[in-house]
Amino acid sequence: MKRLTYLTCSLIVACMVAAMVGWSMAAGNFLIPVVAIPLGIIVILACRAQVDVVIADEREKRIRSKAALRTLEVVVIAGAIAAIILYSYVVSIPLTPIITGKMFLNGDGTQSMTIAEYKPGSAPGPQTLVRSTTIKDLNAMNESEAMTYCTYVREGFSENESRGLAGTVIGCSLAALLVTFGAFYLYYRKKY
Amino acid sequence: MKNRIRVLRAEHDMTQEQLAELVGVTRNTIISMEKNKYCPSLKLAYRIAHIFGVGIDDVFTYEEEIDGPSSDEE
Repeated sequence: MKRLTYLTCSLIVACMVAAMVGWSMAAGNFLIPVVAIPLGIIVILACRAQVDVVIADEREKRIRSKAALRTLEVVVIAGAIAAIILYSYVVSIPLTPIITGKMFLNGDGTQSMTIAEYKPGSAPGPQTLVRSTTIKDLNAMNESEAMTYCTYVREGFSENESRGLAGTVIGCSLAALLVTFGAFYLYYRKKY
Repeated sequence: MKNRIRVLRAEHDMTQEQLAELVGVTRNTIISMEKNKYCPSLKLAYRIAHIFGVGIDDVFTYEEEIDGPSSDEE
């Protein structure tokens, strides 16, 4: 078998396994991946055994190892910067929206409250106002007003929180990547 | 590291493909070595010398200015 034939076979098998796993997940059948993935690996290994030319020699391995190391360096540096920038939306005061609540005493003795959201890092004012809502009678708050009150703060911070979550996910992924790299580094250092 | 692989191959009337097959590497590796772009491992160097029936010094030549301490950086 030629190298190109082997690569084509591997690609077809990988696509078939991916399709089967995707379909089984959608159908809720979790037994298929358990069978399909090892079967796919066995087929690829069998194809590899039939290859009569050299697939990867020492030069190829050196190229791959250098490319992998460069990729790791670039991904870790770029990812760390991205994670810090994204996470700063959660902890940085100038980047978070300003939400204020003002209570007023009405003429009939009831209390009303106005909640207003202003642009991040700006002084509260009419020009920087994003949105506002007023609960007319605070003591007789109806369900709709209560829902508005609850979701107001959450919606105001949701964009920042999703960015922070993305930053946390990137940071954790990088940490996992570095731990894996460190484990393999120690393993090969011990081996050689 | 300079080498005489191309010359020795011509002397033995051997193609790059044949040499690659004999030493167990790809043809691209032989091409890179002949162009002095790739420095082989000691094991591969010995294998090549063995195929041609000569010593390793007759195939590869170490050069101080090319193979100095900083040459393997990239």
